[in-house]
Amino acid sequence: MKYCIKYLYALGIFGCFSVSLFAQGPPITSDKPIMLGGGSFTAKTLIEHRKTAMGTFKYTPIMLHYLISSNALVAIHIPKVSYELADGTSGQSLADVKLLAKYQFLRIDGTGKTFRMVAKTLQTLPTGEALGVMELSSGLYQGYYGFVAGYESLKYGISFELGLNHIPEGDLDFLQHKLGFGLPLLKPQYPNRQINLFFEYTQQWLWEQKGYQLLYAQGIQYARKNITFDLAYQLPMINNMPQNMTFNRSLFLGTRFTF
Amino acid sequence: MKTIIISIFSFLMLGSSLAFAQKSMDDFQVQVDGLGCPFCAYGLEKKFKEFKGIKGVQIDIETGDFSFQYPSEKSLSLTAVVQQVEKAGYTPMKTVITRANGLVETDAPLAAVDQGVAGVVSKKMFVAGNCEMCEARILKATSRLQGVAAAAWDAKTKMLDISYDAAALDLASISKAIAAAGHDTKDHKASENTYDGLPMCCKYERIEDK
Repeated sequence: MKYCIKYLYALGIFGCFSVSLFAQGPPITSDKPIMLGGGSFTAKTLIEHRKTAMGTFKYTPIMLHYLISSNALVAIHIPKVSYELADGTSGQSLADVKLLAKYQFLRIDGTGKTFRMVAKTLQTLPTGEALGVMELSSGLYQGYYGFVAGYESLKYGISFELGLNHIPEGDLDFLQHKLGFGLPLLKPQYPNRQINLFFEYTQQWLWEQKGYQLLYAQGIQYARKNITFDLAYQLPMINNMPQNMTFNRSLFLGTRFTF
Repeated sequence: MKTIIISIFSFLMLGSSLAFAQKSMDDFQVQVDGLGCPFCAYGLEKKFKEFKGIKGVQIDIETGDFSFQYPSEKSLSLTAVVQQVEKAGYTPMKTVITRANGLVETDAPLAAVDQGVAGVVSKKMFVAGNCEMCEARILKATSRLQGVAAAAWDAKTKMLDISYDAAALDLASISKAIAAAGHDTKDHKASENTYDGLPMCCKYERIEDK
């Protein structure tokens, strides 16, 4: 009950901002179902500076997304991680390389609005050190399977994701749910120039570890034509994780360029 | 004095050639659904930049109005425009092409099109079909005919509204072209082979022989 109240409180904060707003760009920590035309590339990065009970991690991915068609996307994420563990150990290495594929199976368009759904899989290859940090560097093969739904209109955008992350050789399987709201501060215009606010929630249930966390990320984005600059700060709202996995905070800094 | 005359002559030549260049562009207007954000508009523009020579791209994301000009000698078809919008990941609702010679092509009801080109007549014709795919196929068949100014087919009434240059084309030729694409009209029937090749959703009830 206490958790529900916190969740509703966070949604209330979002509600306070949702007055007199216009269109928005792609979300920061959550995913989107909209694909910008077949045959195009997006190069992006989203540097994460994460602090957990285990230590401090700086995750720097280079991501290349390619749209095979208007409804299919493949991508590769090549990340580097540097770390300072609580026991004094530090270092840097290649983290887990990720392969992403998305397929849009539903599209309902209206004037100035659209609703889309995509199936998504993210295959994590065991190329990183076994640091045991969720989503950064585990040194274990992982397979994520889920779907992303999103509604975008000229007034606001909502994205929703539900998926399951399976690790065959570990005990860190989790069910993940993401909910994101995007609210622009400027009038919609093209060529675009936008400043957008994002309110993004991530819930993860680790049933094998009996862990649960609800994270809230507050983001701001500057977008111009085909480039964006993203900044977000993520905090735990509910943090019932095993002692060594407790999440403290993350700072995200990113950019993306579509060509 | 000689220099002044040459300058004036050059200026007039340049002006007339520019005017000619402007006239040789076709105007395209497409109403596009699904543009939920300015990034969507970027995706649409980027896809159309694949058409080399495209000029004057304008997108109003609030109304979904997308317009551009394209060299008329390249004869960019209505079907190609519609397909390109779909490849960009959006839904084309209404397309109007105003050719450099004044002819208008559209997939919208003809009442919405400004007519008034000498020799162009408008007729209605029954064409069998079921769905949006049928509509695209019927309009594609008509758009390939020289002299067709505008065409629109209604899946509910099965009526084709078509405007064409009566000096270049007649109704029988249009009917034949549509039948060759797989759709029965009252005067011409599609061949069994063509009909059998239609997708399941397009298997309309065939017109019985008189």
